[in-house]
Amino acid sequence: MTRWGMVIDLDRCTGCAACEVACKSENNIPTVSPEQAEMGRTIAWMKVTAHVEGEFPHTAMHFYPRPCMHCDNPPCIKVCPVEATYISDEGVVGQIYPRCIGCRYCANACPYLVKYFNWYGPEWAESERQHLNPDVSVRSKGVIEKCTFCHHRLQHAREDARAEGRELREDDYQPACAEICPTGAIVFGDLDDPTHRVAELKEDPRVMRLMEDLGTQPKVYYLRARG
Amino acid sequence: MREDVKAKLDGLPPDERVLLRPLVETSRGFYVVAAILVAVTLWGVFAYYLQVRHGLGRTGLNRPGYWGIYIICFVFFIGISHAGTLISAILRVSKAEWRRAITRSAELITVLVIGFGAIQPIIDLGRPDRVLNVLFHAQLRSPLLWDVISIGLYFTACTIYLYVPMIPDLAIIRDSGIKAPRLYRFLAIGYRGTPVQRWRLERTIGVLSIVVIPIAVSVHTVIGWIFAMTLRPMWHSTIFGPYFVMGAIYSGIAAILIAMVILRKAYGLEGYFKDIHFDYLGRMLLVFSVLWFYFTFAEYLTAFYGGEPGEMRTFWAKLTGPFAIPFWLMVAGCFVIPLTLMARPSTRTPRGTLIASIAVVIGMWLERYNIVVPTSVNPRWEVESIGHYLPSWIEFSIMSATFSGFVLLYMVATKFVPIVSIWEIKEGREAVQEVAERVARYSSSTGF
Amino acid sequence: MTPTRREFLWTMGATALALQQAQEVFWTAEGAEDPGWAPGIETRRRSACLICPARCGIQGRMVDGRLVRITGNPLHPMSQGGVCPRGLAGVQMLYHPERLASPLVRVGARGAGEWQPVSHDGAVALLVERLQDLRAAGRPEALAVVAGYCAGTMRDLWRRFLEAYGSPNYVPDEYEDGTDAIMALMHGVQRRPSYDMEQADLVLSLGAPLFESWWSPLQAFVAYARPDGHEEDRPRFIQVDARFSRTAARAQEWLGVQPGTHAVLALGIAYVLLRDELFDARFVSQHVSGFEDSVDQRGRVREGYRSLVMRHYRTEEVSAVTGVPVERITQLARTLARSRAPIVVCGSDVTAAPHGLLAGMAVHSLNVLLGSINRPGGVLIGDDAPLGALAALELDATGRAGLERNPVGGAPPPFGAGDPPLRFAEAIAAGSSPEVEALLLYYADPLASSTHPEAWRAALAKVPFVVSFSPFLDETTRHADLVLPDLLPYERWQDAPTPTSYPHPVWGIARPLVEPHTGGMHTGDAVLAVGRGLGGSIAQSLPYDSFELLLKERARGIFAARHGMTLGDEFERRHHRQMEERGWWLPEHGDFEAFWEELVERGGWTDLFYDHTDPSRTAQTSSGRIDLMPDALLRAIDAEGGDRTPYIDVAAEATIAEDQFPLRLMPYRVSTLASGTLAFERWLVEQPGLFPEVHWAPWVEVAPATAAAMGLADGTMVWVTSRRGRYRARLKIFPGTAAENVCAPYRLQSPEGESANPLQVLEPSSDSLTGLSNWYSTFIRLERA
Ligand SMILES: Nc1nc2c(c(=O)[nH]1)N[C@H]1C(S)=C(S)[C@@H](COP(=O)(O)OP(=O)(O)OC[C@H]3O[C@@H](n4cnc5c(=O)[nH]c(N)nc54)[C@H](O)[C@@H]3O)O[C@H]1N2
Ligand SMILES: Nc1nc2c(c(=O)[nH]1)N[C@H]1C(S)=C(S)[C@@H](COP(=O)(O)OP(=O)(O)OC[C@H]3O[C@@H](n4cnc5c(=O)[nH]c(N)nc54)[C@H](O)[C@@H]3O)O[C@H]1N2
Ligand code: SF4
Ligand code: SF4
Ligand code: SF4
Ligand code: SF4
Ligand code: SF4
Ligand SMILES: [Mo]
Repeated sequence: MTRWGMVIDLDRCTGCAACEVACKSENNIPTVSPEQAEMGRTIAWMKVTAHVEGEFPHTAMHFYPRPCMHCDNPPCIKVCPVEATYISDEGVVGQIYPRCIGCRYCANACPYLVKYFNWYGPEWAESERQHLNPDVSVRSKGVIEKCTFCHHRLQHAREDARAEGRELREDDYQPACAEICPTGAIVFGDLDDPTHRVAELKEDPRVMRLMEDLGTQPKVYYLRARG
Repeated sequence: MREDVKAKLDGLPPDERVLLRPLVETSRGFYVVAAILVAVTLWGVFAYYLQVRHGLGRTGLNRPGYWGIYIICFVFFIGISHAGTLISAILRVSKAEWRRAITRSAELITVLVIGFGAIQPIIDLGRPDRVLNVLFHAQLRSPLLWDVISIGLYFTACTIYLYVPMIPDLAIIRDSGIKAPRLYRFLAIGYRGTPVQRWRLERTIGVLSIVVIPIAVSVHTVIGWIFAMTLRPMWHSTIFGPYFVMGAIYSGIAAILIAMVILRKAYGLEGYFKDIHFDYLGRMLLVFSVLWFYFTFAEYLTAFYGGEPGEMRTFWAKLTGPFAIPFWLMVAGCFVIPLTLMARPSTRTPRGTLIASIAVVIGMWLERYNIVVPTSVNPRWEVESIGHYLPSWIEFSIMSATFSGFVLLYMVATKFVPIVSIWEIKEGREAVQEVAERVARYSSSTGF
Repeated sequence: MTPTRREFLWTMGATALALQQAQEVFWTAEGAEDPGWAPGIETRRRSACLICPARCGIQGRMVDGRLVRITGNPLHPMSQGGVCPRGLAGVQMLYHPERLASPLVRVGARGAGEWQPVSHDGAVALLVERLQDLRAAGRPEALAVVAGYCAGTMRDLWRRFLEAYGSPNYVPDEYEDGTDAIMALMHGVQRRPSYDMEQADLVLSLGAPLFESWWSPLQAFVAYARPDGHEEDRPRFIQVDARFSRTAARAQEWLGVQPGTHAVLALGIAYVLLRDELFDARFVSQHVSGFEDSVDQRGRVREGYRSLVMRHYRTEEVSAVTGVPVERITQLARTLARSRAPIVVCGSDVTAAPHGLLAGMAVHSLNVLLGSINRPGGVLIGDDAPLGALAALELDATGRAGLERNPVGGAPPPFGAGDPPLRFAEAIAAGSSPEVEALLLYYADPLASSTHPEAWRAALAKVPFVVSFSPFLDETTRHADLVLPDLLPYERWQDAPTPTSYPHPVWGIARPLVEPHTGGMHTGDAVLAVGRGLGGSIAQSLPYDSFELLLKERARGIFAARHGMTLGDEFERRHHRQMEERGWWLPEHGDFEAFWEELVERGGWTDLFYDHTDPSRTAQTSSGRIDLMPDALLRAIDAEGGDRTPYIDVAAEATIAEDQFPLRLMPYRVSTLASGTLAFERWLVEQPGLFPEVHWAPWVEVAPATAAAMGLADGTMVWVTSRRGRYRARLKIFPGTAAENVCAPYRLQSPEGESANPLQVLEPSSDSLTGLSNWYSTFIRLERA
């Protein structure tokens, strides 16, 4: 059984935020005006947050690139009144934008704060529309959106593999963030396929998951930074 | 008032004369107030138009402050709606005689307020145009859907429960012929007060008053569960179901009291809303203020002892943090003021209960606020929480419109149905004998 | 009753209106549910990123001729498929709404913003006319070009154009980190150092923000952790910094030091190495001079490096100055000595100080002591790609005469270039002859970025004809007379040589990924066109029909050189290196055309073989030794009064803060916004830094205690005021800031558009030896705005 998942090695992450921007570019994520940003209405399916400990000069800082955890037991989907957010049989938690009624219940239910709401319709200058990715729909106002594990890429990969009459290979389907990370901190693949790197990495002694105690069973694993 | 109507009215027995007057006689004050309320309501409608046109961005909501005024009002109004039905049902079932005067006004509140409560979550939707998806793509695991169902049921039940006991009165109006004969002939569905009809009526009311109680309880339990079913700090709590029901009844009683005081003044019903009523309801208020404290204390103590960091952030945010003011105002409104006023008989007067009730209503609104907002802006993932929520004028406008809209409809309703149940009052007077016996039976020393 | 016809129509109308309203209100943006294109024709092409000096390899994904995504080019040996946020957001620069739609001629007053669109030919003709007049008047030297970083053929073309025209005034506005002067003095090499980080096992950076705004962040990333995930060969990074930078955060170890004392720490380490005999004595004895004391011609004993360090850098004293505990200094020295291949990197922030040059030499001296010169995983002296030479320079009398004249801004400082644009601007403002009649701005926005915008304002006022090639109306361009918008990187041909910091030559090729914007014209082609227009010797010196062909000509040099390879995957790279180590090289392309085609297709050319046996890669001084005590330096110091000594005067003299200005301002570059150009990339400006709640506007980082002492809460707007000026920013409490410092990111405009450039409140002062301005000894105060 395929279970797509991600392992992020915090020991390799330099907090450069390339993953963040790669995601924005791949998934047509709009920017908002300064005023809106001040209000806390920016959208970033992948967000690199920094944890700082101690004070100068005894400071330490770790970066947590944070996509949707694609929980195996996602609290967000249970509460959606119209099943506009669901978990696929391959463990990808998706959104159905045209069905979402925008109640934001799922956003409140998600402990990881990775659901983003379109308070207004997205604004693209006419010229900017040219760099929109045709594989990914532009979300309308009033709906919730979040990281999809770049699901559209899986569909493409599947088609290509089928066209070439072969099995799907590990590197056929890589999300934009994993693909771009300059230090290879983000590894993506099938957690249940022993030949995939994630399967081996998730057994690493440094492994941990965010808020594991909540029982959400995230499919995004982190490898703690070495001392 | 037209002469012939006047004549007819004067021709009626005393109860009818007093209680039907408002249906045919309307003061200027009424129109003035109504006009103001209409204005406020229309303003709110305009605000909503803007919100739908431009998006929820027009509100002060944000991430993680996903929910605000609308959800607060939702919980608040549905709470108020427990005024009538539940209380009048309980009183009916327990055959409390003094209920007779107050049930009608209470049930009226219920029916009207449910509507206004129920539209709140729809106002809160990012895509109201898709609200029907709730039916087309219903997903029964979602507490929101449980709400849709139980509120739907509740509304139907309450409407029937308001209507059935009203039939005899409608018949009375029909027969008095003082107002819209066609309308009342239709509404009275040929009720003539024959023993059979009378018996059927009593049966139905009996059954209904039993049925509505569990429904009413379910409604507010489920609303509590909307929050409790998430993993959010200070939402994820088993006490929320009962806590919400209790709070609902509490605010309900307060609402009735306010309504009664006003009606009493406006329509000179001193003969019906007697001090005894205020005294009794005052006592209930007292009981509930204590209950409220008990529940609240239990809830916070549990959170505090758990000491789970996520919980504690919200906990302190409420007690000492940015939400300290609304929190302690709430404690004053829901506990201190009603307790001090209702504990002393000398202040269980109409005025005293009025003050207490207003305090309670405000307090209960603040309680909803203290439940919804502090948790929203203190998510478990605190690292990048924005943590502030300032409602926009749009939200305030829509909230005021909801209040004014409700009062407006209530006022208008009093122009169509007697706000005190005439036939029940009468029945009461006749039943004195039987009641005395009943009382004697369970108070007499010699049991059978 | 039946409605009359009028009533009927009216009702219909009303209903229709109502419906339409409802429709609009409820179904708004429904149409935007998907971008609404049919599955388009998709192409991928390799290219190079031109946004910062690193010049990484990229790959464009085009759909129906639109650039929708930028990804990395895995064949590029330096970036290995990685791209940084700035590069990724390039699509937003390309399709930026404010991009100029055509060349513009000023009609209103300067800066009034009244323009007249003209055709490209028209614009070129205008330029030609002006330049012809200048030459006719016999004043070719009155033409000047200020150009931002454009290493490669664009720079060569500008230079050649000016030479042929007869002007000595090429004014580079480029990354000056002083390392060029250090290499020239100590190694006798006119080349910045290369760092073989990938093979090093320890990288000690003194103040160089390797992961943020260094020569090549991607080179540092790949060295830090190879994208392919190999754990073994990861070197240890140690960051010494005056602020808790992101680089410091992710280095395996970091030391906070007092601002301006990096070099003292370096020499403290040197002291331990010398004292405990931990340094590479063999290397020093064979390859180094100026180490031991010596006697000069006049019999004076000149103290050598060893004595100086041993006498002045006892660890206790060093610890007192730098604030680093004694045991950490010792431990650091031991770690360095123990390492197989340590590298010490000198950051431009070490050299941007009053004694910057001496400080930089002190830092680099560690590499010398450790023998980390010209060995695998050490500091190398690399090569450039063997590009074909430009066509021979033809000079007429006018040109020859012009080149005789001295450049505006007078003689550069003894070592290094200093801050040429500033010297240039100040000279003009001061009215020094020769006057400048025509100024061309390429990749330069001095009004926004100079430390002295007022000097630039004065200068521009004196120049009658200012031309900008910027595709955007940036601050300086607004004051131009003619704007001839360049094409943007993803539309044009340009070579993209990696910076010297990368040890191997990589000649990346940026080529059009999309149809060029009709409003733009490749500045390279514009220069060639102007050359043709001017005719005569100038045209003969620039005999190229297009910039693309010029690049192709240069590639012939590489083809002829018979070494290296077009970019290839890891296997091909290793294979090639091993071959060349054995002295083999097999031609892979029958003819040049095939070679060029593949070079372009793969994104460039590289040569990963480095000959460590070549002694000239250690030092090219007269003595053939690395000189710790260069005579040239000593003479220069004597010349200016001789009040400083190498390896002694290395610390920024502890400028004492006084009451009105209690805090030290530390400007730094946010990695996501290191260049003014990037203000055009909205994804970056929306979330510039680490602070999730900072957007668009500039901020300053203050230590919690300091903020508390001033009673300023996190997020308040404050005035940052120095003796020289002030600007507004949002205060952010950051525990990574030292109590007495304020860290100020630059390259941000406040949304109100007011300039908020910390560099513009810096107090002017510079190292007379290098002319590098001193960025870290300005003191400021903060007050609520
Ligand atoms: N990403 C990116 N990289 C670039 C560029 C770009 O546009 N984008 N531009 C290139 C250019 S033109 C240049 S000039 C360079 C600039 O690159 P740098 O010269 O590295 O400039 P900054 O980023 O300001 O780095 C200054 C560093 O010095 C530290 N510092 C602050 N105060 C002091 C002090 O008192 N003493 C010492 N020793 N250090 C201190 C700061 O913490 C900061 O990390 O970047 C080049 N690299
Ligand atoms: N605020 C601030 N000031 C700084 C610095 C800083 O980082 N921040 N850094 C300092 C340093 S070290 C340096 S080197 C200078 C660098 O500063 P500048 O020399 O001004 O270089 P940039 O600001 O990166 O870019 C200058 C202009 O080039 C234009 N441009 C963008 N793309 C293109 C293109 O494709 N073609 C052409 N022809 N033009 C283009 C843009 O309009 C941009 O404004 O600034 C110095 N001053
Ligand atoms: S791209 Fe990689 S290194 Fe950069 S922030 Fe994301 S995960 Fe960390
Ligand atoms: S992370 Fe949040 S949104 Fe994603 S699956 Fe888990 S609960 Fe749902
Ligand atoms: S916001 Fe949309 S996705 Fe989330 S719960 Fe409501 S309807 Fe479902
Ligand atoms: S997986 Fe795709 S959608 Fe999710 S964060 Fe990475 S790039 Fe964004
Ligand atoms: S480091 Fe510089 S060259 Fe490389 S991708 Fe980033 S901006 Fe482009
Ligand atoms: Mo620079």
